[in-house]
Amino acid sequence: MSGDTTAADRSARARRWSAKDLLRRQTTTLVFVVIVGVVVLTVQSSGGFLSRISIETFFQFLAIPVVIGLAQMATLAVGQMNLAVGAIGGFAACLAGILMADAGLPVWLGAVVAVLAGLACGLINGVIVVLTQINGFIVTLATMTILSGVQYALVGTRTVTSDAWPQLQSLGSARPLGVPLIFWLSLAIAGLLSLAYRHALVARKMLASGGNPLAATLSGISNSRSLIAAHGLSGLLCGVAALLVLCSLPGVNKSIGGDWLLPSFAAPIIGGVALTGGGVAVLGTVLAATIVRLVDTARAAFQLDPSWVNLVIGAVVLGTVALGQANRRPKGLVRVRPTGPSRASTSEATPTGGVA
Amino acid sequence: MTTTTSSPWALEVRAVSKAFPGVRALDAVNLRLAPGEVHALLGENGAGKSTLIKILTGIQTADTGQILVGGTERVFHSAHEATAAGIGAVHQERNVVTAFTVAENIALGNTPTRHGRVDWRAVRDGARRVLDMLDFRIDPDTPMNRLSPAQTQLVEIARGLYADSAVLLLDEPTASISDNESGLLFDVVHRLTDQGRAVLFVSHKLEEVFAHCRTATVFRDGRSVAEAVQLADVDRDTVVDLLVGRTLAKLDVPDRAPDRTSTPAIELRGVETERGHRSVDLSVHRGEIVGLYGLVGAGRTELAHALLGLDKITGGEVRVSGEVVRIKDVGDALSRHRIGYVTEDRKAEGLFLDQTVARNLTVTVLGQLSNRWGVLRRKAARVAADEYIDSLDIRVSSRDQIVGQLSGGNQQKVSLGKWLAARTDILVIDEPTVGIDVRTKGAFYRLIWDLADQGKAVLVISSDLAEMVTLVDTIAVMQDFEVTGHVANTHDYDEMSKAVIRLVHRTSENVA
Amino acid sequence: MTSTVPRPTVTRRIDERINPSTKERFGSALSDNRVGLVVLIALLVVAIGSARPTFWNPQFVMGPMLTNIAIYSVVGLSQMAVLSIGQMNLAVGGMAATGGLGAAIALDHGAPLVVGMVVGVIAGAACGAVCGLLVTRADVNSFVVTLAMSFALLGLVPAVYGWVSTGAAITVDTPGLAELGRWTTANLCLGNTCGPAGVPLLLFLSIATMVVVAFGYARTRVGRETLLTGSSAQAALLSAIPVGRRVTSVHALSGALAGLAGVMLGASTGSFTPSIGQEFLIPSFLGPILGGTLLVGGYVSVLGTSLGIALTVLIRQGLLLFGVGIEGLNILLGSVLLLALCTDRIRDVMSQRSRLRASLQGVPASEPSSEGKVAA
Repeated sequence: MSGDTTAADRSARARRWSAKDLLRRQTTTLVFVVIVGVVVLTVQSSGGFLSRISIETFFQFLAIPVVIGLAQMATLAVGQMNLAVGAIGGFAACLAGILMADAGLPVWLGAVVAVLAGLACGLINGVIVVLTQINGFIVTLATMTILSGVQYALVGTRTVTSDAWPQLQSLGSARPLGVPLIFWLSLAIAGLLSLAYRHALVARKMLASGGNPLAATLSGISNSRSLIAAHGLSGLLCGVAALLVLCSLPGVNKSIGGDWLLPSFAAPIIGGVALTGGGVAVLGTVLAATIVRLVDTARAAFQLDPSWVNLVIGAVVLGTVALGQANRRPKGLVRVRPTGPSRASTSEATPTGGVA
Repeated sequence: MTTTTSSPWALEVRAVSKAFPGVRALDAVNLRLAPGEVHALLGENGAGKSTLIKILTGIQTADTGQILVGGTERVFHSAHEATAAGIGAVHQERNVVTAFTVAENIALGNTPTRHGRVDWRAVRDGARRVLDMLDFRIDPDTPMNRLSPAQTQLVEIARGLYADSAVLLLDEPTASISDNESGLLFDVVHRLTDQGRAVLFVSHKLEEVFAHCRTATVFRDGRSVAEAVQLADVDRDTVVDLLVGRTLAKLDVPDRAPDRTSTPAIELRGVETERGHRSVDLSVHRGEIVGLYGLVGAGRTELAHALLGLDKITGGEVRVSGEVVRIKDVGDALSRHRIGYVTEDRKAEGLFLDQTVARNLTVTVLGQLSNRWGVLRRKAARVAADEYIDSLDIRVSSRDQIVGQLSGGNQQKVSLGKWLAARTDILVIDEPTVGIDVRTKGAFYRLIWDLADQGKAVLVISSDLAEMVTLVDTIAVMQDFEVTGHVANTHDYDEMSKAVIRLVHRTSENVA
Repeated sequence: MTSTVPRPTVTRRIDERINPSTKERFGSALSDNRVGLVVLIALLVVAIGSARPTFWNPQFVMGPMLTNIAIYSVVGLSQMAVLSIGQMNLAVGGMAATGGLGAAIALDHGAPLVVGMVVGVIAGAACGAVCGLLVTRADVNSFVVTLAMSFALLGLVPAVYGWVSTGAAITVDTPGLAELGRWTTANLCLGNTCGPAGVPLLLFLSIATMVVVAFGYARTRVGRETLLTGSSAQAALLSAIPVGRRVTSVHALSGALAGLAGVMLGASTGSFTPSIGQEFLIPSFLGPILGGTLLVGGYVSVLGTSLGIALTVLIRQGLLLFGVGIEGLNILLGSVLLLALCTDRIRDVMSQRSRLRASLQGVPASEPSSEGKVAA
């Protein structure tokens, strides 16, 4: 008997960290790609890329992709998606902007409104998903349409200029250590999320619901609550992104958020978040957002049409998904093979447990 | 009777009923569990045991009836409430979050926290405490997805022990672990009962039940047919009778003398598969019924899948009517070799539950039922469906009834019927009567005998030894992905069970 | 005697909280869904028509509206095709754009109209087939594959437009294109009798497509096997249905239909641009869902899809006539979608309840054959 267990134990120990290793390997690859990208851009621009201005711009426009990538990650972690990331962000930014510019809302309150509006939209998404028990994708498709309509109704064709919230603007132009404050802020959020997904009970419950809803139920964890919490978190992060918009852009109009969908999916997917739920990769998401930003910078440097960025990112996402999924637990169409004794451990391997 | 706080029962279930759409899972069942005893809950698949477990653990709520824990009436709305009331459970399915560590899985749902933060040290310590009880030496920080199914099962058991419950429910905990490991489990169980806890033990293995349980409740067809029987007072046959009812015992087993001189319809010689089967020899002649017996996880269904081309065969040869063949996929098996496979899990794999009976029955013959342009001949399809509804005596209101609305027995007939419609010569039937009510079983056996008499070669896969002894001509025993031997069936249960059990244990003895 | 076999619905029920993949929704496949749509459409037509008589103007209102219905019906069919196997196509817009692009390039090089259209349809089908192959071979969720595909096409299509033409659009004057896109039955005359002016020719192309798709699903082996695959891929695989091929070809069909819709839109506006298909995604879901096609697969309704589209377009037209702007339109479309989802759910719960009640009363589940009607 004891021979039995120790043998099993030994082999378990030998394989022990391989799941984490996989994620780590992906992170290493991402870091490598980032370095290569920076080197290529530096050489191409004969060092111009590393100039103060260029660095500032780079990070200035990286903050929002990082946050919306994390917003998408929050829903992916429970096996859901949020198509309304851009719509929520655009709506929240426009709502706060209008209130500050037209209704004379104090600027600090405007900032709070932006974040809370995002949170509210996310919670509503979650509640509808739970009540209708319909695929979160369709639900958020519907709310996306509604919110983009509301956003248009709010601002119409006008651009609400940022003169109405100078305090936020000065925050947005602050450059501690030569890097925009808003980027530091996005990093802080990433760090906070990373800690939360590791240590906060509510976040662990979300991951449990995402990883195995049945096991979660049998352990007394409410999947409904996890879903609502995850959508709420996603909405909250969209609200934060809206706040960053108010800080960093010269104004808000109907097109804010319109082009967020691709980057919001690209960052977590390339960053190694399993679409089946149950895991997050905060560092991976940040790195992948950086890579997307590098591609965009390169596009500008080589004076290509902006549509090439979409093409490249779309192809990379497709490739990542196709290659990455092959290693993961089959959860797609055909699952004929019941887990046999000899294959179970390999086929169930899901490199999602860790929080990178 | 009134509710008192000084109840002699740790757990009492009074007249609990539960209905699902289309079926009554529990019909006023009773159960009484005394502190300090191991009580067996017995019943065939589909008798309602798991439903009761789900109700007792707050996954579902009863429609009517009472549940009393330590004399206090309780209604659970979530697993959490049940745990809080002192009911711990080890569920039948392996339900773990593979992305988490062993420790976190054990603590799942009762994770110790400090100010909303998970207290990882407490999680680890708590996990180690219960793992030590099971003498399961594994690092609590091991990610769950690195564990074998048996190890996973042990973690499940540890999870049930974690909450320190007054009542512990074990739903077939030994299905996929070794005898040694179950031995340890029972040591723990007896330790718990010595401390005055009550354990409800659900199992199909009567040996275990008689060895470890003091009393038993027997469910049949959603009713409790025996309550709190002292197992010391009864013998095995009485329990089997209670389990299956008298019908099966009275079934007339026909005299069957299949011709084994001809070339076998299907023959496996030294077959090895990517799933780990080694040197599998097996043959089925026309008109013969061969049983492939083995415990859960022995590799029986996997062998069927390999035969159908769903898993790769890596060595040896498969012969159909004497010719060596390579079967690519199910379509190939059907169209070229006339092999049909009635799956074990008919709801998920055998049937299209939301489609009509006719569509289910004709799925395998759509090619023959359509003209050369691929357009279906609707009249021919109707005729084909009606033919098998009649010949199999499937009880339906019309051929357009939705299969999901039928009873288990009728569903199984549809699942079988589609292969008969395809006029297969070789039938592999996996667990033919799981979840089928006892009265229908006999009819089903007769059907299989008829098919064999018509000249079909039938391979029946089952883990129900009584079924094997009744139904088949020869029993092949599989253990650890190997065929350990063949026994000609004498239809004498005691004799056969001894022979088969000996074969089941052969490999482990050889290894040891 | 009661029905005695407890069905292990427990695990499913729990799974559904996250993933409503229930196959027990056959109750919602009600034929009155379509009847309801017809009644609603009739009421709206009467209401809008009497409040705003310009509604009947064949040239400026009725004609364009029916053109839209024609095009969007094909878009709805494109989505319906993948829904029939319980999957989705988020790249309908991109595939339509690709179809338009393919047709435009072919026509620009002097190909006759029919060849151009076929090229467009094939271009769409190729994108769909790629998605289908990725779904089956790499075992990836269709949602993600088609989402990624839509991103890739979002970049590819404008890039190719920029490459092959100087402007961002291709305008061709192939003989027959303008007639196909902009003629109405008024242009068809037998002697001195001409058809009504408000009925565009595109509508007939659309109806022909619907008939072919409906026939395919209802009456052919491949269609039947596709529906069964949607009903349960696992059971289909074990019933000797070539599941992988069916899934791939359904994605290709979806792409082909999207491509056709792109060509139709290009023909109706007279020029092919990268913006073809941008507005397709929401209607593509609205049509099938309103029409009673299940999200989980195994059931389709071609007529329902078209009626759902008709309702959507009608509402849109009505709003325009009443002077409601684009923002109101979006809000309303989204709300209609949510509402449709909720009613679907309510119907589901109701049918479950009635079956539950039946079993509580000790009789086997009710067996109304109307509930089981599965027609294409």
